[in-house]
Amino acid sequence: MARSKAGVHETERANARTFLIGLCIFLALMLGFPTVANLWYSFSNVSIYDLTGTAFVGLANYAEAVTNPNLWDALGFSLKFAVICTVLEVALGLAMVFILHPILTKRPWLTGLLMLPMMVSPALMGVMYRLILNEFTGVVPAYLYMMGLPINLLGRNWIYETVIAIEVLQWTPFAFLIMLTARQSMAGELEEAAAVDGATGAKFGRLIVMPVIMPSIIIVSFIRFIDSFRVFDHIFVLTGGGPGNETTSISIYIYKLFFTHSKIGEAVAVSVMLLIASMALLYSALRLAVRRAPT
Amino acid sequence: MIVTRRNPVTRLVHALRWAAFIVIAFILNLPILATIMTSFKTTGDINTSPPVWIFTPTLSNYEEVLFAGNTNLPEYIFNSIAIAGGGTILAMLLTFPAAYAMVRYDIGKSWLLPLVTNVRALPLIIYAIPIYLMFQMVGLLDTRTGMALIACVINIPVALVLFVGFLQEIPEEMDAAAKIDGAGKWGILWHIILPLSRPILFAVLVLSFVYSWNEFLFGLILTTKNAVPVTVGATFFVTSYGVKWGATAAAMTLGIVPPMILGLFAYPYIGKSMLAGALKG
Repeated sequence: MARSKAGVHETERANARTFLIGLCIFLALMLGFPTVANLWYSFSNVSIYDLTGTAFVGLANYAEAVTNPNLWDALGFSLKFAVICTVLEVALGLAMVFILHPILTKRPWLTGLLMLPMMVSPALMGVMYRLILNEFTGVVPAYLYMMGLPINLLGRNWIYETVIAIEVLQWTPFAFLIMLTARQSMAGELEEAAAVDGATGAKFGRLIVMPVIMPSIIIVSFIRFIDSFRVFDHIFVLTGGGPGNETTSISIYIYKLFFTHSKIGEAVAVSVMLLIASMALLYSALRLAVRRAPT
Repeated sequence: MIVTRRNPVTRLVHALRWAAFIVIAFILNLPILATIMTSFKTTGDINTSPPVWIFTPTLSNYEEVLFAGNTNLPEYIFNSIAIAGGGTILAMLLTFPAAYAMVRYDIGKSWLLPLVTNVRALPLIIYAIPIYLMFQMVGLLDTRTGMALIACVINIPVALVLFVGFLQEIPEEMDAAAKIDGAGKWGILWHIILPLSRPILFAVLVLSFVYSWNEFLFGLILTTKNAVPVTVGATFFVTSYGVKWGATAAAMTLGIVPPMILGLFAYPYIGKSMLAGALKG
């Protein structure tokens, strides 16, 4: 931190603030203002006809929000969804690293082939699965039927597993890519030295490779958890949150409160609580990261 | 590693790895593959069971969605290009000087950088309602300008983190030399730093374009008719074209192919950009 300070005059630093002005104004307008508006509306009796929201109602919106049992269902769905997806993605990605690393190191373009799903919009990915899982024209049900398994993966009985599978299939490549990068950063000499010391096969993987990949596993788990927790796109295009509220994530819940039920105050109160919870989580994660790696 | 190819066990393991690669690549890319194939099939081929993998390709589905004039798909694609392009350029203009100030003058690195990277981790639905109401008040609802501003918000964390990471690697002597020659701050940034940053500018351009192209939530909330992006527009096909799977698949293909091709160019940076938010820059 103190490295470049001495050479930089105080006035020069002050002048250099002009570099930041654009970004700061933009963020204040596009994120600062909405945050304040969120807080303001969450304490007022706001409606689509009166957007000034001048009638102060105290904590009424919050009371309404937390007493709605659907909120806790949606939160539960998101948490469970995020945990299951994260665990599956990290486990599958890790298995892929161990299986595929030897053949990918010399052929990086092959890795690119596995990265394609990440480049696709999750919403369109949802629609594409709707196409291939369709009961009548889909590829997957056609083969399942031939194998004697006439199940409708988009039907009520399987939809929960299906939305999880889609998320996992789209984002396992991400977990794989990050962990593969860590694996590839290992020096060849380390592997040779380990082989000389008798660490081969499973022992090599557990004692030598795992500690190297561990930091990546933690980072990947964290990112995949927050991304899965806020899931919206593919579930929305596949089920719209249904049947009933079975696949309503917290993002879809807020969307429906506002756009379907026009409960602005309640939706805003949930948003504010979610914002505070997210910030608390990020803050503690950051604290944990700093304590683990004091740089 | 010492690879002894003569050992039959080693060779078998190697063959199994290749088999695993092919199976994994096939499963992961199955929806993409099936959709692209469907888009070239006639309605007769689509309804054949079991599915046919070898068929005479037809362009009729593309003709229908692009040129027949009974869909708005060309408009959606144009909207996506304008929104993603505008949002990307704006984000780069805002974050590049900021990243430079953070690296060289140590301004804002302690508070603005973590603030911005945290945005990457927040559930964006939190901002959907106030932004919807705000856009309604200022007349930005259902406009490409409004959507480009949203794309910019989404791009800022990625762009800033990648720029800061890259600029840290440029030696300070570069600036010092230019300063002696009498160049001003913006002059140094424009004439010295910008040309040196070409690789990262390209990567940010491509990745930001891809991420804004793929955005769905705000497209769904903030547009209804005039500024609908292709990610939202292509989903209309499923309901309004219920049985026309060929046309739907063609629309889908046009919606996914541009970011896929662009993404492959910038793929070495993908991992790094997606880590934005968990790293301190």
